[in-house]
Amino acid sequence: MSLPVALRNTISPAELEFIASEEIVEIRPTVKMDKIRFISGIYGPFIGGRLVKVPLWMAVNLKLKKKCNIVAPSWLSVDFLQEKLTQETSRPEFSSLPFRFAEIAKVMLDVASDDLMHPEKLRSLLKDLREARQAKSRDGLRLLSDNALSLPHLCSMEINEIRPFFVRGMGVLIQLAADRPNPPDEFTL
Amino acid sequence: MNIDNDVIPGLFADPTQLPKESDLQELLRLWQNERHAPEILPSNGELLSRVLDQIRRQSDDANALRRDANLSEEEHYMTMLVQTEVERVKFIIRSYIRTRLFKIEQFARHMTNDPEIQARLSQAELTHARRYTALVEKQFTTSVLGHLPDTQRGLDDDVPTLPNMVTEPDKDRPVFIHARQACGPVQLPDGSGFEIANDSIHLMRYHTIEQLLARGEVELV
Repeated sequence: MSLPVALRNTISPAELEFIASEEIVEIRPTVKMDKIRFISGIYGPFIGGRLVKVPLWMAVNLKLKKKCNIVAPSWLSVDFLQEKLTQETSRPEFSSLPFRFAEIAKVMLDVASDDLMHPEKLRSLLKDLREARQAKSRDGLRLLSDNALSLPHLCSMEINEIRPFFVRGMGVLIQLAADRPNPPDEFTL
Repeated sequence: MNIDNDVIPGLFADPTQLPKESDLQELLRLWQNERHAPEILPSNGELLSRVLDQIRRQSDDANALRRDANLSEEEHYMTMLVQTEVERVKFIIRSYIRTRLFKIEQFARHMTNDPEIQARLSQAELTHARRYTALVEKQFTTSVLGHLPDTQRGLDDDVPTLPNMVTEPDKDRPVFIHARQACGPVQLPDGSGFEIANDSIHLMRYHTIEQLLARGEVELV
């Protein structure tokens, strides 16, 4: 009954996608429906062709039933991602992207690739971005200490990816620091 | 809730102030914090009962609508959407409760000794922690401990050279935090002060940010 072992120290990518599915996106409905009250708020009215804001999970549901087109978020475009990729490969720091961009981009590409411009190009840009950023996170391991580590602009999926190793690594450093003989300068040959 | 003002698609809400949250957003955050924190966090009974009420109301409404024979296809679809959301919220609540259950069983003995931690549990959780401790103790006693000399029967002996027999949460465990606002300086383990800027992300010992988490200034990610 209690939480499965695999989920006790981390959150799964599927759960991250679940969380990202609460983010608001814009859709263009192709059907007419009244306002609906949900736990997270009131959405609608849905009128053919007029932009409506709904959570991503709802957009996906409507899209799969061919009841709407999803409007791509402004950052999910070839121009924007190309620029981020250039920044990513030319500068040492992480470029800033929406916190849950990886999850949202995946969902969009999976269910609404026909609503995106150049989905194949987007896919390969996202892959390149991921690789460039992954190399940087690995490099960041060098900075790990028993104290604190700042990770500006790291995204939710990337945090989850490095979590097991970084938490374990820092745990070892913390243990070593706790065992350090005190004061160290008394040590002489 | 006015969705135009408080959520930017795909981004965190307005970074200059703590966003006004809906119950659902608060629940999502409560759940994620609980998942990542090494110790059990205070329960929020009020929020939970509000959300459970909403679940009940939404399900009742959807069921009432569904009984209506003249339902158009669109209306039928709407009730399906409502039901989908209800199931999503139920999943969050279930996962939240199961996470707490896992921590209660892991630290049951520690909890039954510490009134400060007991205050974080709901009545049902506290009862479970007590009964679980009693059951484990009974099982250990009948299977092994009862056959040992009196001096070796304790389940909470504190021998200086050995690890504590009572499992306690590891507050030194590092956690990933996201600052929901600019936080005053925290003291790092090496003694230096550290300003946590708004919207920044860090890996730190849980112990260091415990207070900030309790005040809602940071969230675990």
